[in-house]
Amino acid sequence: MSMAFANFPWLSTLLLTCVIGLLAILFLPEDRVKEIKWVSAVLSGLTFAVSLGLFIGYDQAAGGLQFVEKVAWVPSLGISYHNGVDGFSLPMLLLTGIVFFTAVLTMWELQYRVKEFFALTFLLVAGVFGLFMSMDLFFIFVWYDVSLFPMYLLIAVWGSTRKEYGAMKLTLYLLAGSALILPAIVYLTVHSGMGTFDLTALMQPGTFTPHQQKVAFFLFYIGFGILAGVWPFHTWSPVGHVAAPTGVSMIHAGVLMKIGAFGVLRLGMFLCPVGWAYWAQTMATLAAIGIVYGALAGLLQKDLKYVIGYSSVSHMGIVGLGLSTMTVDGLNGAVFQMFAHGIMTALFFSAVGYIYDRTHTKVIAELGGLSNTMPVASTYFIIAALTGVGVPCLASFWGELLVFLSAFSVYPVRGAAAICGLAISALFILRVVQKTCYGPKNEKFSHIEDISPILGVPRVILVAVIVIFGLFPFLMFDMIQTASIPFLNGLPQ
Amino acid sequence: MNWLIFTPELFFLASAGTFLGLSLLPADSRRDYLTAISLSAMGVGVCIAGVTLSGDLFRDTYRVDLFSQVFKTLLALGFFLTVFLCTDLDGVAEKRHSEFYCLLAVCTLAMMLLVSSVHLLTIWVALELSSYSLYILVFLRKDDRLGVAAGLKYFFIGASSSAVMLFGLALLYGATRTGYLVNLLTILPGAMDQPTVVIGLLMTLSGFFFKLAIFPFHFWAPDVYEGAAHQVTSYIATVSKVAAIAILLRVVALTGGGSAYLGHVLAALAIVTMTVGNLSAIVQKDLKKLLAYSSIAQAGYILIGILSMNAAGYTAAAFYAPALLLMKFTCFMVVVVVAGGGNIDVNGLAGLHRRSPLLALALMMALFGLAGIPPTIGFTGKLLIFKAAMENGYLVLVLIAMANVVVSLYYYLLVIKAAYLTEPENDEPDLVLSSPVRILAVTLVTVIVIVGIFPKYLIDIARSAVQALL
Repeated sequence: MSMAFANFPWLSTLLLTCVIGLLAILFLPEDRVKEIKWVSAVLSGLTFAVSLGLFIGYDQAAGGLQFVEKVAWVPSLGISYHNGVDGFSLPMLLLTGIVFFTAVLTMWELQYRVKEFFALTFLLVAGVFGLFMSMDLFFIFVWYDVSLFPMYLLIAVWGSTRKEYGAMKLTLYLLAGSALILPAIVYLTVHSGMGTFDLTALMQPGTFTPHQQKVAFFLFYIGFGILAGVWPFHTWSPVGHVAAPTGVSMIHAGVLMKIGAFGVLRLGMFLCPVGWAYWAQTMATLAAIGIVYGALAGLLQKDLKYVIGYSSVSHMGIVGLGLSTMTVDGLNGAVFQMFAHGIMTALFFSAVGYIYDRTHTKVIAELGGLSNTMPVASTYFIIAALTGVGVPCLASFWGELLVFLSAFSVYPVRGAAAICGLAISALFILRVVQKTCYGPKNEKFSHIEDISPILGVPRVILVAVIVIFGLFPFLMFDMIQTASIPFLNGLPQ
Repeated sequence: MNWLIFTPELFFLASAGTFLGLSLLPADSRRDYLTAISLSAMGVGVCIAGVTLSGDLFRDTYRVDLFSQVFKTLLALGFFLTVFLCTDLDGVAEKRHSEFYCLLAVCTLAMMLLVSSVHLLTIWVALELSSYSLYILVFLRKDDRLGVAAGLKYFFIGASSSAVMLFGLALLYGATRTGYLVNLLTILPGAMDQPTVVIGLLMTLSGFFFKLAIFPFHFWAPDVYEGAAHQVTSYIATVSKVAAIAILLRVVALTGGGSAYLGHVLAALAIVTMTVGNLSAIVQKDLKKLLAYSSIAQAGYILIGILSMNAAGYTAAAFYAPALLLMKFTCFMVVVVVAGGGNIDVNGLAGLHRRSPLLALALMMALFGLAGIPPTIGFTGKLLIFKAAMENGYLVLVLIAMANVVVSLYYYLLVIKAAYLTEPENDEPDLVLSSPVRILAVTLVTVIVIVGIFPKYLIDIARSAVQALL
């Protein structure tokens, strides 16, 4: 890669694209619906392209933090605008780019308060991108909240099923999380004695005493864990996902929950490795319970979106389990699973969203024989389901495999329980597929048209990503390893 | 004596005199408004021009320094903004408009005197002058029933807290034999183990606690907010708080941070105030009452900055003063425009996003700011406050405050929900904003967000202002 490429502020470009999108939409008149959608599609496509470019352009041989941008922001407080990406954050950026672009396309048919919807979506995604690339604690927190507070309106205005309750519950839970994260950040910056919010400076070994690390890690783990859907703080997640409109469910389950896991990784584990080791047992236990609980709860659901909501709890448990193992395989698997689950769940919600838009029901018992009436839409649904089950050659398989292998060797009992959980989740997902796509046809829906090629575009992209990373997992693992191996080697023994 | 440094105060005295003269002429609300808006705008200019002045007046009982001048500018700004809302002063009878502006100017003048006072007696006189103007302003509400009830309650609680404060001043004077803050500054840090001094100081502080509506002196706030005319409420919620923060900072800074006991009392008050404010706000239906309880809660957060008793904490509180001024004012601007002369329920905001998208946006940003959500000025203020508290090891206090923030978010979201989600029962017409209001709303939103993103300059100003106290 040429120096000119590496020195260009790509990360700020990514953020700026979102801000430009936000402003452009704000200044467009409300009735120019077509223009608003095209602006959204083009700019979100641009973020996808840039994040893909960054993923490809990252120099894996050199490793470490790249595309670094650093500007002093509030020198008296030690706040700097400091961005950089490594093998952990690049998969997340790519995931955000893909899901954002496909979510915008999925919402192409939206007619109600279009301007506000896309403006808020751009704001939300700006927060997500910012969080994944920021290396400054102040900005990480700012981006975290920026990505959360549009959610309230996005769900409450455009949602369905108990939307106001779901929106309020989700917002309060997630901001309760931030109420733990902010004290933890302030606690660490104050006690470092360095007067800086810079992550790279604070993560030097020996900055914090073991006690401080235990306190701060706990706050980070619970705070971000709420967003990551850690059992028993997950209850907002199925409710929120069900209430949200399709595009928002995609971004939320696909990307936002990953922020939680990423936050535990980036802040909790990077800053407080001793605290991580201290709390790892608890993390593993909660993750294992989450996997089994999510699967069992999913088994009982009658609503299609609730099924996916609980499967998310279960799958995010796998991420948590991987992070708790403190091994290279566990970390690799967890990050890979974050990426794969993001894509998979976006496809899932996208397919279900289409079915709901046409049939106006999400009740499993009312559907049936969909593979006859809308074969293409059912295909997307089935592919998502198979990915969720962990079928080989589809992306999730590799993440789950690595996590379970490492978990089984580190925590045999919890690992075994988690594998049982996975088996149950396979059962409930396949049961849903069987009841909705096959079986007797509901004549009421026989006249419904299948997904049109244009609306199929976002789904095809998601399927393609699942298959590509399912067939060539090393594309992702090589990237993650550039971060996970140096990170674990650098830890004090 | 150098009278030049007294210019801002003299200007406001002259303004008050002008309105007094106007009140002798036949009532003409348009004329009064135009006079008020031009005088208050000039007042802001005069204060900004005088921001670098310094010196002592009246046998050293009155000090002009960067701290006082910065706060005077804020007070003048708050006065200007309040007057800005008076285009349709429906809440006050027309023949009283010039008296209304006169009292408002006197009150602002009194608060300017307050932030410069460095003697116990000048503090007392300035505080009483501002209180008495406010008592009458509350009474001026056209709807007698609301105004009189609120005014009486305000007066009684105010008078009792003044009495307590006077007693405290006497105790302080008795223990230290001096009324000059500059002498107290040397005596008090060493005398904080004497019960008389600590009790005297706490009783003195109650006078300011009343202004800031800190538990247990907060009972007036909901009724006064509800009963007073919207413009008066907005003045009480913004300008009056700024003055109270300033004088509280000056007095607490006297102790030199030496008293753990005072710190504990203030911490307990902060916790109770935040919690009472936030929990009571949840059940409010009336929008102004809700904002009153939210003000009480905000006072609790500010107290956390003050009780940290270090430069960082004072800077944080000084930073929070303009933040609070802007955010609260934005809320009241919406109240004034939407409610007109009457009171308004939270649900009265229904359909605001359609009736006036700009106001809905302004309200949302202001409420998110009050809740401390980034990137707003309110978040930066809270961050500074919590950082200062953490430096003193108050981890638990910060956690309690953050729990309060989450509670507060619930009722702020209810207001936002009303503005963005609820549809009105009758088809309300769109709100037509005059272009000054439109410009003001855009400016407020911009400032709330931009200062949240680039807080550097405001932090530097707050820091240098606070230097004058230490």
